[in-house]
Amino acid sequence: MADVQTTNQSILVVGGGMSGITAALEAAEAGYDVVLVEKNPYLGGRVTQLYQYFPKLCPPNCGLEINFRRMRQNPKIRFFTMAEVAGISGQEGDYDVTIKLSPRYVNEKCTCCGKCAEVCEVEIDNPFNYGMDKIKAAYLPHEFAFPMRYVLDPCLVGTDEGKKCLEACEYGAVDLDMEEATFDLRVGAIVWAAGWDPYDAAKVDYYGYGEYENVITNVMMERLASPNGPTEGKIVRPSDGKEVKNIAFIQCAGSRDENYLPYCSGICCLASLKQTTYVRELYPDCDVTVFFIDIRALDRLEDFYTKVQEDEKVTFIKSKIANITEDEDTGDLLLEGENTRTGEQILMNFDLVVLATGMVPNGIQVDGAPEVPCDEYGFLVNDPEKTGIYGVGCVRRPTDVASSVQDATAGALKAIQSIARR
Amino acid sequence: MENMVNYDPSFAEEVFRDVDAGDEIKMCMNCGVCAGSCPLREHMDYPPRQIFGLIRAGKREEVLSSKAIMLCTSCYTCVVKCPRNIPVMDVMHGLAHYALKQGYVPRKDTASFGKEFWKQVYRLGRIDEKDLPRRVFFSGGLVEGIKAMLNFMDIGLRLMLHHRMKLLPERKIKGVKSLQKMLDKAEGLGKGGAAA
Ligand SMILES: Cc1cc2nc3c(=O)[nH]c(=O)nc-3n(C[C@H](O)[C@H](O)[C@H](O)COP(=O)(O)OP(=O)(O)OC[C@H]3O[C@@H](n4cnc5c(N)ncnc54)[C@H](O)[C@@H]3O)c2cc1C
Ligand code: SF4
Ligand code: SF4
Ligand code: SF4
Ligand code: SF4
Repeated sequence: MADVQTTNQSILVVGGGMSGITAALEAAEAGYDVVLVEKNPYLGGRVTQLYQYFPKLCPPNCGLEINFRRMRQNPKIRFFTMAEVAGISGQEGDYDVTIKLSPRYVNEKCTCCGKCAEVCEVEIDNPFNYGMDKIKAAYLPHEFAFPMRYVLDPCLVGTDEGKKCLEACEYGAVDLDMEEATFDLRVGAIVWAAGWDPYDAAKVDYYGYGEYENVITNVMMERLASPNGPTEGKIVRPSDGKEVKNIAFIQCAGSRDENYLPYCSGICCLASLKQTTYVRELYPDCDVTVFFIDIRALDRLEDFYTKVQEDEKVTFIKSKIANITEDEDTGDLLLEGENTRTGEQILMNFDLVVLATGMVPNGIQVDGAPEVPCDEYGFLVNDPEKTGIYGVGCVRRPTDVASSVQDATAGALKAIQSIARR
Repeated sequence: MENMVNYDPSFAEEVFRDVDAGDEIKMCMNCGVCAGSCPLREHMDYPPRQIFGLIRAGKREEVLSSKAIMLCTSCYTCVVKCPRNIPVMDVMHGLAHYALKQGYVPRKDTASFGKEFWKQVYRLGRIDEKDLPRRVFFSGGLVEGIKAMLNFMDIGLRLMLHHRMKLLPERKIKGVKSLQKMLDKAEGLGKGGAAA
């Protein structure tokens, strides 16, 4: 593993989402050596967990697959999964970086035959589906995973279950003796593309997320709608598995709020509009209500908004919902607020509520790393005076894939300039 | 230009300048959370967001004579929830106080409650849970007083059962004189209570 030879002409990309993959490919295709490190056992980032992309509503896997092919064809890119940055020192043109690899307990001999999962009886919360279902502790992260290789959860190490998996594997791919490892890299520039985490909706306590089963978040909704999700694409209530008839979206759930995330998360309006189409496609009788402060669908994305507005089963109500209470017997949810166009009080019942939660940037949290400027909310700022480490994509601002890709291309150029300046 | 509305900013400017916490409403984004969570919203003619909207629209009379600004019970719900960190409650109190100074009179029962409340705090340094309602109920005459008493008897008995209301009259707090000095000073500064 640690046989990676790099020089101060190489570029390190941290994070293997759309932004990181783009930055790595652009730099490699321009002739530079690139090392990409990704924390998850697979590449692709949050986009792998989406059902469809707005505005064209195509599945994200096509786009990802094209990029993976570009990566496979390019010997200039080396990538590591289950890898994180443990240390950075030095300056522009000459950084020493320590990479930490977490054990996967499965080596490159894995053929994805699935025997280990068959015999394994231990189950864990499925992180890919935000814990909405269980998965065997020997698992493939998802059906389009790249690299296509199983993972064993650390809970199997030293147990009889672990031994069962080892014995079931006919290819000698299970290796329970793998340990955490570190290795050092020398690079000339770093692109930070660690993306975003969904805001913890439980913090907005008056919406009852975590307490009321039928209050879910927008990222969970993407999984529910996905054919490879926990419900095989059925949008149902977590409490009783009933298909939805009357669903509400609450915009700015936590965002644009001085008590939680003071900024606008940029994409959640479009995400809810898109999810509205998921629901309407699947269930022609289902009513959808979107509660908003204002809908932020910029530029040509406004056409998408206009199209959704034309659907007579979709109602838009200008109101930030002020409270949710649950009917314990039915699991239905009572929403309270004020319709700010008419001044009327809102008291409406729904069988499922989706919170359009925002994005929190994954900033640089590495002890002793050179300082990279951030704004007051933790988004990285590219300061022309402090070059060498560049944020790209959602670590710089909450945005969609198209803008992330543009930003990452610009970041790759900046990283190349850092090397060329030497 | 048929659809043009002429807004008069002079009342908004007056509020920003002369009402305690009045300039805070500049931050309001019209989201409706305060109006959607105020426990008294059904009794208010205009819940807080609408009051702020009326101020911006220059509706001086509607705002200063509104029932809403006098009804706020300082429960803090709106303050805790407002996404723009606006001390909505302080603005409501500021407006109530300002309206009184401008000679607007609240509804009779609101006024008598406020006056009795204030008098009692001034005299005892605390509220007497029996004495205050009694005074308020009978402020409108004997018959009305008895009717109101009968109406609230149930609550009164339950309060007593849970030791939330004593049978004996409340005594003055220690150092009530110092409290009175503080209240006098506050009043002198124009930050007095409901009976200002
Ligand atoms: C509900 C929802 C729906 C959306 N739908 C759409 C849509 O339809 N169309 C669209 O264009 N956009 C959509 N978006 C936005 C889209 O998800 C983002 O634009 C995109 O994920 C940005 O990619 P990224 O690479 O910057 O970040 P990410 O996708 O978050 O990728 C970051 C990667 O970095 C890894 N990482 C994190 N920390 C570290 C670390 N310390 N070390 C190593 N690796 C690390 C992560 O594991 C991840 O793989 C949606 C967003 C939400 C919330
Ligand atoms: S680890 Fe072995 S048993 Fe498990 S999927 Fe891979 S090859 Fe099959
Ligand atoms: S994008 Fe829409 S839902 Fe998201 S924070 Fe901005 S306004 Fe609110
Ligand atoms: S909650 Fe705050 S921002 Fe929203 S309408 Fe009320 S005062 Fe304005
Ligand atoms: S503090 Fe006043 S205005 Fe605010 S919610 Fe309570 S009663 Fe309503």
